[in-house]
Amino acid sequence: MSLKKKVKTNRVVLSLVCIVLGFMIAFSYRINQNERSKGMITDRQWEQNISLRNQLIEQEETNRALQKELNEKQEMVRNYEAELAKEAEIYFNLAEDAEKYRMFLGKVKVKGNGVKVTLSDGEYNPNEENINNYLVHEHHVFKVINELYISGATAVAINGQRLTHNSYIICDGPVITVDGYQHPAPFEITAIGDPEVLASALNITGGVKDQLVNDEIIFSLQEQDGIVMDPIVGKK
Amino acid sequence: MWLPFMGLVIGVIIGLLTDIRIPEEYSNYLSIAILAALDTMFGGIRAQLQNIYDEKVFVSGFFFNILLAASLAFLGVHLGVDLYLAAVFAFGVRLFQNIAVIRRILLAKWSSNGEK
Repeated sequence: MSLKKKVKTNRVVLSLVCIVLGFMIAFSYRINQNERSKGMITDRQWEQNISLRNQLIEQEETNRALQKELNEKQEMVRNYEAELAKEAEIYFNLAEDAEKYRMFLGKVKVKGNGVKVTLSDGEYNPNEENINNYLVHEHHVFKVINELYISGATAVAINGQRLTHNSYIICDGPVITVDGYQHPAPFEITAIGDPEVLASALNITGGVKDQLVNDEIIFSLQEQDGIVMDPIVGKK
Repeated sequence: MWLPFMGLVIGVIIGLLTDIRIPEEYSNYLSIAILAALDTMFGGIRAQLQNIYDEKVFVSGFFFNILLAASLAFLGVHLGVDLYLAAVFAFGVRLFQNIAVIRRILLAKWSSNGEK
């Protein structure tokens, strides 16, 4: 009985020892295997590693070169854009200037604030032997127009006809001729500009208004908003 | 006789399944411990065959040798002397001796059986 028990315990202890041994062997085996697979590299793998690394370096170099190129190209694009913007600005300015000059030349309809001057012949005066003394002459018109231009009018029209840089006004008996079109009295001279400046320029003491009134001409001046002038018809 | 073998198999399975990570430098100690364990195992087998087997001696020798071998290796690492070589040498020589004795005994048994 006791012998058998002893044998049994013997087996149990032996199996315990065997468990420990097996555990240790397997554990050590596994660790070594891990180490081997981790730490050791075969020649082939080494060569592959190196070639891959070289490829990587090559790629990075090309990347850097391309990046540099990209930066240069971007800089170029930016320059182009700046140039285009400048050109666009120039064109815009040119277009604006062209429009402005067209307005000055009377090629297009213009509209603005200004003054209206009406020159009418004086009342019939039987005491006056020369009727020329109270008629509106072209030099009166000249005076008014010149005064208007001097004081900054940008566009002037007589009875709705725009004057240009080479307009002419001549005395034609009872009428005056402006660029070939005849206009009878009363003459309505409209001018676009700063109304206050134009009015005070005409009203100045001893100025155009006084001179015209001295010549027995009925002079009326009124400031007007939204004067519209049609473009010059016909030649030029 | 099957129980120890089963124990060995179970131990191997546990060892393969456990996922304990130990630092690389300690794997040396484990190797030395395995050597000691193997030596003790074969010593036990020889003792059994020579009928001088004592369980207490065997079990205490098994664990004590393992610990001794591991601590020797540990000491060697810290002293800068390759002391684990001593363990390897001692256990290795004894391992071979034990195996040789086991072989002779088995051969004698076999030849005596054959003669019968």
